[in-house]
This record gives sequence, structure tokens and C-alpha cells, in this order.
Amino acid sequence: MGQLEIEKLDETTFVLQMGPHHPATHGVLKLVCEFEGERVVKITPEVGFLHRGIEKLAENKTYPAVMTLTDRLDYISSMTNNIGFCLAVERLMGIEPPLRAKFIRTIVAELTRLSSHLLWLATHALDIGAMTMFLYCFREREQILQFFEKICGARLTVSYPRIGGVRVDIKEEVLEEIYRFMELMLKRVDEYETILTENRIWIARTRNVGVVTAEEAVSMGLTGPALRASGVYYDIRKAAPYDAYPYVEFEVPLGEKGDTYDRYLCRVREMRQSAFIIRQCIEKMPQGEILSSHAPDIDMAFQGKRKIQPADSLWGGFIKFTTEKEEIMPKSEVYSAIEAPKGELGFYIISDGSGRPYRMRVRAPSFIHISAIPKLCEGHLLADVIAIIGTLDIVMGEADR
Amino acid sequence: MRKLLNKLFFIDLLKGMFITFTTIFKRPVTIRYPKQKRELEEGFRGRHAFVRNPETGKENCVACTKCAQVCPSQCIYIDYSINDDTSSRVLIKYEIDALRCIYCGYCEEVCPVNAIVLTEFYEYASYDRKSSYFNKETLLKNWDEFINQYKGEDYLNKFWYLPGINRERLPASKREPNAVPIIKKMENKEGWL
Repeated sequence: MGQLEIEKLDETTFVLQMGPHHPATHGVLKLVCEFEGERVVKITPEVGFLHRGIEKLAENKTYPAVMTLTDRLDYISSMTNNIGFCLAVERLMGIEPPLRAKFIRTIVAELTRLSSHLLWLATHALDIGAMTMFLYCFREREQILQFFEKICGARLTVSYPRIGGVRVDIKEEVLEEIYRFMELMLKRVDEYETILTENRIWIARTRNVGVVTAEEAVSMGLTGPALRASGVYYDIRKAAPYDAYPYVEFEVPLGEKGDTYDRYLCRVREMRQSAFIIRQCIEKMPQGEILSSHAPDIDMAFQGKRKIQPADSLWGGFIKFTTEKEEIMPKSEVYSAIEAPKGELGFYIISDGSGRPYRMRVRAPSFIHISAIPKLCEGHLLADVIAIIGTLDIVMGEADR
Repeated sequence: MRKLLNKLFFIDLLKGMFITFTTIFKRPVTIRYPKQKRELEEGFRGRHAFVRNPETGKENCVACTKCAQVCPSQCIYIDYSINDDTSSRVLIKYEIDALRCIYCGYCEEVCPVNAIVLTEFYEYASYDRKSSYFNKETLLKNWDEFINQYKGEDYLNKFWYLPGINRERLPASKREPNAVPIIKKMENKEGWL
């Protein structure tokens, strides 16, 4: 009798529902995990707990007002979301920001990349068990958030860029402060590496965990550091340069194996490259305007006025109103992508000529990375699932939108 | 050989431990918040206020309703009547639902007379919803509260002036830096409230 039961136990799998309120899932992600013993057989991610309907809301707001919604997509790197949206609208309108605005945007985008990677390193290390890293990373992140406060008056929901440029200029003192901080930052990154890179516990927990080959990574649609760790050279900053990236020199760090350790190395090296980019930008910072002369005002109209034509007869006055509306935006569609800290962040906007987007679709990297979790976790232990969620750098605000 | 020694004597772990150890001799980066307060940066987007005009003692608002149009979360409610003699607008109601506000600063950027401002004041959490629902009087009171703790000669918000932007894009009254001169303890003067 007893033996029979044990045999039955071998056949059945154990189902564990992880989340949505689990500190290691980085938000409200729910994973339905099936285990055989302690090995993962199957994982089904469930998303949608943080759905706020941002894409639908965007259809009822003017283009400058939609920009404030994009703050709330990936709430720890709101500056790059804003820049991505503004770039998409600029490409739709066919305008280009002045050179100084481009450099300022590059600086703030790289600061955001630093702060996002710092938060990733902090929480990823905390999940695996390195508590000290959490405190060190937040120390530096606080500094970066203070720079944001100096630049635009807010720490997280910045709303700093504007369609056709940026809102306010950066003072020279703040630029000098950022320059000095970058030297400190490089030292700090070295510190993080001495703590973690050679640490035997860290290596044991991350080496050969969640391996993705280059082909798999491309076919699953991974982007950003998760793709580059597998050895695929794809960075939108190099492939389709936007803003001031053509004017600066930087390297794209690549990994070899595509495991969690490589993704860690990739991101840490990227932090160094970000610091180099910011320093180059401050050195080369040109003077001039920060807003294009063709840029739309922020009090943009919802709809255009009706077109006026000269009337055929004088009975109804001299003019005739037609049903056609004047175009505020050109009628077309555009897809533009930028390299956000998490991966390729794309905005697909269809315009019908009015001041509101007819449809806005966000290609969020986190959502696509979540779809890679089942593949990555196959055959791993439960403790490794936590490491894999951490290494993909998921933010649920972006995935559920 | 070296690798073996490193492994035997836990060199990799000790290196990390050393960094942690040196922080004993460093100053803490944290502050004890309610007792100690960090100074806010210029242009922080905090609680809303109406600028009290030092000459008239009233608000500057001309009821153009631009702020209500541009507000992404639609949290500003304005009502006005038209004075028949001068055919100018008279502000009747001006309400801001601060719980809905997302602090983007579009309202102060678009205001043609620099009437509304997001002040550098952030400690206004409360237990009821009513105290975060500002009307004309409370907005003026917010300004007095902010300006009494403000250290400086005159006040110019960054988003009123928008440094770096081509001046001709802005309405005529915003092209020059129009700082508000500060007269402390305004609410104590007679006839203003």
C-alpha cells in the first residue's frame, strides 16, 4: 500500500502559485509553476494585474498630454520612455530637435540607464542573497534622482523632454556636478565588481542558470542586455542612431554563453559605458536653443478647425464651412524604437490628422521578456526561478501597460 | 597555484568584505527624516498655490482656462462670469483636485500671467480627502504658507520663465523673467483676507 502511494507521488507534479504578491516577482507578476520534485517542469506566467489601459487612454489625450502617461510605463526609467515617445512624434511630424537638446536628452537617457541598472543590480542581488549590494546601489541611485530633481523638478515622473526638444535648460553647475559624479560612479562600479564578480557564491548561483543561445534569444524576441549577453550584436544606439549617439564613441558589451552571469557582466559593463557617454556629452555640449522652432505648443488643440472655402453664392455669406478638418498632425503612421535600459522600446503611432493619436501601441521589452521565462526556467530549481526573473529585469508597469 | 590559494584563503570573499568593512569609517548617507530635512532643489514640483499679487493682495488669474485645457489628468475646474462694464472675465470658481493631479507642471508652463505655481512644498499628506481639494482661498493660503518659509529675495519659478527656450514662442508677459517680490507675513495685513 505504502509503496503504491510513493509511486503515485512520482507521477504527479506539484503546482505552486507564485505571486502576484511576492517580493521576488518584482511587481504583480503571477507564475503558475509545476514542479517534479524541486525541478521545474512547466511555468505559466500570468500578467495583467497592473493593467491601466494606457494605450486606450492615449487615444483621448493630445500628444503632449500622452507624454505624461509614458512616465508611468516603466516607472523606474521614465526619462527614456518620454524620449521614445517624443522621438516617435517628431518622426511623425518630420521635425528635428536642436543639437543642444539632443545632447541633453542623451545625458538624461544615460543617467536613466544608470539608475535603472542600479535598481536592477540592487534587487537582483537581494533576491539571490547579497543584501549589501542593495544598500550600495541605492546610495548611488539617490544621487541620480537628485540630479533629475535639479534638472526638471521631479524625481520619478519627470515629464522632462518635449516634442521637438526639452522643456528647460540644464545649468552649467549641474552639468559640472554630473561630470564629477561620473568619476565617482566609475569607482563605485569597480566596487560592485569586486564584491560580486569573483564571489564564489554569486558565481555558483548565476553560472549556467537560464542559458539562452543566440538563435533562441533572437527567435524569442529578446532585446537589450538579455540579447547581447548571448553574443548578438544588436544595439539600437548603434544600429539606428538617434539623438546624440552618432557624436559619441562607446562600446557595446557582449556576452558569450548567455547565462545569468553573462547578463550581469553585460549590464555592469554597460553602466561603465553610460558613464563614458555622459562625460563625452558634457565635454562636447554645444550652446544654443533647446526647442525646435517647428515644435508644437503644449496647449495643442484636440481637433483642427473646419476648413473655410469661398462660397459659390452670396446668400449664405461670403464663406462656406466644409466638413473637412485642418490637419494638426500629418496623416500617417510611424514606428520608432529606442534603446531603453530594458531593451527595445517602440512606439507605433497612427495619426488621423487630429491632435490626438488615433492609435498608440507600445512595444514593451518587459512583456516580451516575460514570455521567455518558461523557456529559461526549464529544468531548473525553484531558487533559480527567482534568479531568472531578476536577470530579465522585468517591470510590470511596462508589461501590463 | 594562485587560484588554489585564492580559493583556500577565501580571497574573493575577503575582498568584498573589506569594502563593506571600510564603510564603518565613512559618514552615513542617510538622514533622519522628520527631524532632519533635505533642502529641495529649485523648481521642485510640489503643492499647488495661487500667487498672491503684492499690489492687490488677490490672485493674478484671468480665467483664460488654458490650464484646465492642457491638464492631462483634467483635475482643474474653473467657472467664470463676464463683467459687463469692462467685458473682462471674473473668476468665480477655481478648484484643483490634488489627489488627481500628476504634478507634470503643464499648468504653470502654459499660464500666460504666472498665476498658478507648483511650490517647493511637499509635506501635506492628510487623513481626509477634503484637505487635498483646493479652492481659490486655500490656494492663496498655500502660497502664504510657502512664501513664509522661503528664503530669498524674490521668487521665480523655472517653469514660468522656461530658460533656454526661444523667447518669441512665449506670450509677451512671459518673455522677461518676472520674479514675484516677496513680502513676508502677507496674511497679517488688514483688508487682504
